Amino acid sequence: MSNNGKREAKVTVNGLTKKFGELLVLNDISFKVYEGELLCIVGPTGCGKTTFLNLLSRLIPPTKGNILIDGKDADPKKHNLSFVFQEPSCMPWRTVKENIAYGMEIKKLPQADLDQRLNKIMELVGLTESANLYPNQISSSMEQRVAIARAFAVNPDLLLMDEPYGQLDVKLRYYLEDELVRIWQELKSTVLFVTHNIEEAVYVAERILILTNKPTTVKSEVVVDLPRPRDFRDPKFVEIRKQVTELIKWW
Amino acid sequence: MSNEALVNNSPVTEKPRTFGEFISALFKNVYVLYAISIISFLLIWDVLSVMQVLGRFLPRPVEVLYQLYDMLLNPLAGKTLMMHLWFSLRRVLIAFAIAVVIGVPIGLAMGFSPYFNAFVKPVFDLFKPMPPIAWISLAILWFGIGEMSKIFIIIIGAVVPCIINSYNGIRLVDPEMYDCIRMLGGNKRQEVIEVTFPAAFPAIFAGIQISLSMAWTTVLAAELVGAREGMGFIIITGMNQSKPAMIISGMVVIALTAWAISMLVTHAERWVCPWKTKLE
Ligand SMILES: Nc1ncnc2c1ncn2[C@@H]1O[C@H](COP(=O)(O)OP(=O)(O)OP(=O)(O)O)[C@@H](O)[C@H]1O
Ligand SMILES: [Mg+2]
Repeated sequence: MSNNGKREAKVTVNGLTKKFGELLVLNDISFKVYEGELLCIVGPTGCGKTTFLNLLSRLIPPTKGNILIDGKDADPKKHNLSFVFQEPSCMPWRTVKENIAYGMEIKKLPQADLDQRLNKIMELVGLTESANLYPNQISSSMEQRVAIARAFAVNPDLLLMDEPYGQLDVKLRYYLEDELVRIWQELKSTVLFVTHNIEEAVYVAERILILTNKPTTVKSEVVVDLPRPRDFRDPKFVEIRKQVTELIKWW
Repeated sequence: MSNEALVNNSPVTEKPRTFGEFISALFKNVYVLYAISIISFLLIWDVLSVMQVLGRFLPRPVEVLYQLYDMLLNPLAGKTLMMHLWFSLRRVLIAFAIAVVIGVPIGLAMGFSPYFNAFVKPVFDLFKPMPPIAWISLAILWFGIGEMSKIFIIIIGAVVPCIINSYNGIRLVDPEMYDCIRMLGGNKRQEVIEVTFPAAFPAIFAGIQISLSMAWTTVLAAELVGAREGMGFIIITGMNQSKPAMIISGMVVIALTAWAISMLVTHAERWVCPWKTKLE
């Protein structure tokens, strides 16, 4: 987007490096995510996308480099982040409703606020009917919706999504892509969306980062400046998709 | 629900046309097969008894039934069957409660603290494989033949599964379970309360369940030695008085009780762990 220069950096990644033993996974990665941006990261399987998000949310420590959120070292205890994991991650002992409330409880929101947001977000992702079911009583796509709702419910400054729709069928994926964009527009969060589906990236992103194979660096960046709602058949859409596909050719 | 499926799929419900089809359908119905199973078992038993294949000491099923009826109404050593059952159950419940109260915290502490674990485990491993019954003689020497020694033996048997399962329950919580609360910025205390305990709960509950059936097994052994009441006493009296019908009656009641206990526990689990229930 041309006005990126004017936007505030939400996340600044400086020379981030991660090794697992001798295996160099992330090699000196640097980039910025802007306030309120919906940024997609695409890259080959096993290139370290999940690793990157785990570093960002401090689930694992970096080997070198740092990640700043609002100018301070990333720390889930200070920053309001939220993560939708690649694998289903509902707490099996909590109902749909309790799972969605989980993040807000951990962050100790006042009960009145919590209830109000809970009802709103459940409506938004269409889970009101299933509020009192347990995760093993719903389908895995509903479970992923719970994880998404839980993530949105805390009004995160920074939302991390790791191939959240990878396991879902096409129809539901389309629906949830629209839903993501709608919720993002409504809540104005900063979203980092990992996927290896190029079409999906072009459909939702404002900007796309393309990663290389291991050892991974940022190969290039594509700005998607299309009006919403976007159309897969729009020639401009197709053109950007082709451009990203060209860039991504790791094979 | 597989039983129901079997029944529903069986052609019985589809109104068989010929007699042959009717017969073959009948033999595919689970409940019919259950009935056949029980009836043939009783028949074979009866035949073995009447032909005295096992000498004089195998009573006929009807004799067992009569013995049961008799013990229900007429006291044996001053107590009816139900009172004997109650004495055994009371011992089990007291010892089981004590075992849970001791065993679960020890197991939890072992799971949480590697130091405490290193401190306790060698001794625990030494005692663990010892069958509780091996303690009977010592228990009697220490506590006499009263309630104390029996309860002691049952505790010995019942405490082990509580400890093992609580320990493993905590230790084997999937580390990924913590990712979610960590990314949300939860602290250590929240991790324990929100993740460790609920995630370990089914394993702990399973330990309690095993502990209860262990207690029921051990009480009989404890009552075989120097008890004046209880199900073990009935069996030993049956032996001393050469009344096999009494022994078998006791065995039947013991089995039925064990079954009832396991049904109860299954229901309790549905109640305490509703999230384990699948919708049909
Ligand atoms: N804890 C770990 N220990 C050792 N190696 C690891 C660990 N986690 C990840 N790796 C390795 O790091 C590399 C990147 O893994 P990662 O899961 O981040 O890839 P990814 O881009 O998310 O892949 P996918 O597209 O399959 O989700 C892989 O080669 C993986 O084997
Ligand atoms: Mg991944």
